Amino acid sequence: MEASRKVARQMAAELLERDSYLEQLATYLRRAVSGQGAVVVVAGEAGVGKTALVQQFLPAARKVARVFAGACDPLSTPRPLGPLVDMAGSLGDEFAGLLSGDTARHHIFRLFLDHLTSSARPTVAIFEDIHWADQATLDLVRFLGRRVGIAPALLIITYRDDEVGTRHPLRVALGDLATSAATHRVVLPPLSEAAVHLLAAGSGIDSATLYHRTGGNPFFVTEVLAAGDSGIPANVRDAVLARAARLSARAHSALEAAAVIGIVVEPSLLSDVFGPATEPVEECVSLGMLRSKGGVLVFRHEIVRETMLETLLPQRRKELHGKVLAALRAVSRPDLLASLAHHAEEAGDATAVLEFAPAAAGHAASLGAHREAASQYARALRCADGLPLETRADILERRAYQCFLTAQFTQAIETHERALECHRILGDRRKEGDSLRALSRILWCTGRIVESGKRAREALALLEQLPPGHELAMAYSAMSSVCMNSEDAEGTLTWGARALELAQRIDDTEVQVHTLNNIGTIELLRGVSEGRQKVERSLELAHHAGFEEHVGRAYIHLAWAAARTRRFEMMDRLTAGLEYCGERDLHLWRYWLTTYRSRLELDQGQWTEAADSAAFVIHYSQGESMSRVPALCVLALARARRGDPDFWPLLDEALAHAAPTEQLQHIGPVAAARAEAAWLTGNAVRIDAETRPMFERALEVRDPWTLGELAYWRWRAGLLEEIPSGAAEPYALQIAGRWARAAMLWTQIGCPYEAASALLDGDEPALRQAHAEFERLGARPAAAIVARRLRELGVRDIPRGPRPATRAHPANLTDREFEVLGLIAEGFRNAEIARRLSVSAKTVDHHVSSVLAKLGVRSRTEAAREAGKLLNNAHLS
Amino acid sequence: MPRYLVERTFPDGLAIPMTEQGAATCRTVVGNNTEELVTWVHSYVTPDKSRTFCIYDGPSPEAIRKAARRNGLPVDQIVEVNVLDPYFYR
Repeated sequence: MEASRKVARQMAAELLERDSYLEQLATYLRRAVSGQGAVVVVAGEAGVGKTALVQQFLPAARKVARVFAGACDPLSTPRPLGPLVDMAGSLGDEFAGLLSGDTARHHIFRLFLDHLTSSARPTVAIFEDIHWADQATLDLVRFLGRRVGIAPALLIITYRDDEVGTRHPLRVALGDLATSAATHRVVLPPLSEAAVHLLAAGSGIDSATLYHRTGGNPFFVTEVLAAGDSGIPANVRDAVLARAARLSARAHSALEAAAVIGIVVEPSLLSDVFGPATEPVEECVSLGMLRSKGGVLVFRHEIVRETMLETLLPQRRKELHGKVLAALRAVSRPDLLASLAHHAEEAGDATAVLEFAPAAAGHAASLGAHREAASQYARALRCADGLPLETRADILERRAYQCFLTAQFTQAIETHERALECHRILGDRRKEGDSLRALSRILWCTGRIVESGKRAREALALLEQLPPGHELAMAYSAMSSVCMNSEDAEGTLTWGARALELAQRIDDTEVQVHTLNNIGTIELLRGVSEGRQKVERSLELAHHAGFEEHVGRAYIHLAWAAARTRRFEMMDRLTAGLEYCGERDLHLWRYWLTTYRSRLELDQGQWTEAADSAAFVIHYSQGESMSRVPALCVLALARARRGDPDFWPLLDEALAHAAPTEQLQHIGPVAAARAEAAWLTGNAVRIDAETRPMFERALEVRDPWTLGELAYWRWRAGLLEEIPSGAAEPYALQIAGRWARAAMLWTQIGCPYEAASALLDGDEPALRQAHAEFERLGARPAAAIVARRLRELGVRDIPRGPRPATRAHPANLTDREFEVLGLIAEGFRNAEIARRLSVSAKTVDHHVSSVLAKLGVRSRTEAAREAGKLLNNAHLS
Repeated sequence: MPRYLVERTFPDGLAIPMTEQGAATCRTVVGNNTEELVTWVHSYVTPDKSRTFCIYDGPSPEAIRKAARRNGLPVDQIVEVNVLDPYFYR
């Protein structure tokens, strides 16, 4: 029969040339069963057969493992955690309950992870079409990706790689996953010309033309062959339409209704919308447009559905959406809110949009899908003309906040200004003041410092005229924050005291958290010991009260202080902060933490790690975020110190970003980095111009470390005679001529490059030591400078020095991780390793987990065995 | 993708025999390079085999270094270069 031949041909197309990929999947499954889990990313263009591949793989998987499958929706605002909602049925009632309730997101993530890792049977979880994923799902994928390597679990994700550009949110998730040894990539190619030839046999269609037109895309090829001898359509859309043209009018109409409903069509919903549909559906199924699967109907391919949607006349489409809306609203499930809002907008039903979109936004926000929440609020606003101004202002404020959380700063600022308009018209000074204060924060993040200060002061002026309350207290705290960021210690403390006094009076935890953070941070930066306690206290209070964003802020400030004052023992807190922010969708906070981590790594001589961290921030952070600036400096310095090319453009970009802010905290490090780069390349004459403005500012502000570093470079350039008072000790010692003491202090602090640089002013033995150390670090330009000095002293036999280690690290372990592995292999416990390497136990734990994951093993014993193999190989090569 | 010239020094002399083992070594090197999106174009070797000048295409100097590390190869200096060929001017 005609139909069965078509279906057979379809299946043949799906099976051709996929054997090697099925084998790969089988291998990963085998390893997962034995406890070595993995993430498999299946990429390919639309219609290339990713779903088909997964479907073919499933029977084999089901023999040895439990399988959970879910997919993402092609909606502009998909359901948050859509795939999990799909899987909820098989995961158990407890799970389904969690997803619709108010559960904190990280609990959901952990519970799902438990399901994957702690069952007796191995598990396969499938997330399809994640190019459409909402933010919460992407975070879940990243969360799982890092933890699945040592579990008996296989996570398979599919996506359309032709729809994911460099700025697509999926890129971050994929980039993250790619760094793990437990991630594998399978890229499905289109069919070869030979395969197309095979399929076209006996169809009367010229296979060369067919291959040329379709590019070997299996879906397209099958469509054309199914349409028979009506010629080869110019594109996929026409091919689908050609096939659909064979449907009866009624079946065609039913198919349109199904397209509007979605990829998965429940028969009861279809009959609500369309009317009795049994026969039309049968026709669609037999013609291969729809498939029946476990009680629901599924489009043979999303491309079919998309095509049917496109060809619907606008009026009819609106009508259908209206019918779907009417049918769905009877069911009350939170995960349907996104769909309801979508159908409401497509149906042109403004009232319904206003009913569902804000609720959908709230639900999305609670699950950490902030990008989706922002879009839903935007949708509500599109229909908000008839709303009372107060309600509109409320939605605007909420959208602004969601945009801020997702670093969509331009939209956040614009939305705030619209909200401000509303408050002004309504004469609501309290809300106007609060909105100005919130706007001031966002302006700071984009580097518009002057405006940020202005808004904060405007907010204060307004709110001081009203009876005191939360908004006024926050405005005081905002002033304290403005002072903190401008390094005005006195201002921070004065405003902070006022904020705290009011906060205690009205018992306001948020203000206390915010203010304590500001005061503690400025104290930390100045080296006052109580500062750290205050920031930690702020963190604790915030954590207790559920102020996630303020916890993130506390972590960032700890990282900032650690980086500036070179307190490497605080790196623990940074790791903890990254963990916290990663679990909770605080992306912007994560970029800041990573940027500070890159600085800490650079300063400890871990240049490879530093370059990686910096590159991550530079690549993925939005152009507007100030977190790029330190990262650009770090990457530039890593290159300049190694003698690698391409660092001046980075430094120029950093300066362009930082200069308009006029803030020492941003520009100071750039000036110092540019001075160092100039010196390393023999251009010390530039140091004066590069450092003068910031040096003068540092003198006013009196921050020891910034002052010290800039003074040091000016001194090297011969521009400084005396040490400015208050400069940080190692720099002060160096300028005073006590280079040996300075070198020792740098070594104590943990900065090998600075320690070697200190020896540059020393005698011949010191210079030789510096040369050896620079060679060890791979610092060629500095080594060359020392060599030159030695020659000037008349020294002839300058050794090449010990070569930098050229061990092969096949598992891509960093030097530090390789060290830790060696110690594990010798049988040392973590506490002992921590002692030997002079780091904290927590840092060692972190390295150990990383080593286990990269080697793909589950225990120290297995790791030790791998170590033996690696060391043997290193000796042979 | 920028092109880089990488200078390397082999104190004991570089030894890649013209045998199956040598070919296997080259294949491993190429394989490791792809993990970092780095392509080895070709190399110039001094007669005494103590120094090489290798031409690579790669996304960044860091990628070149990582690939080198995977392959156990030393890196003395990385310079960004563009090709200049007398034939271009025909």
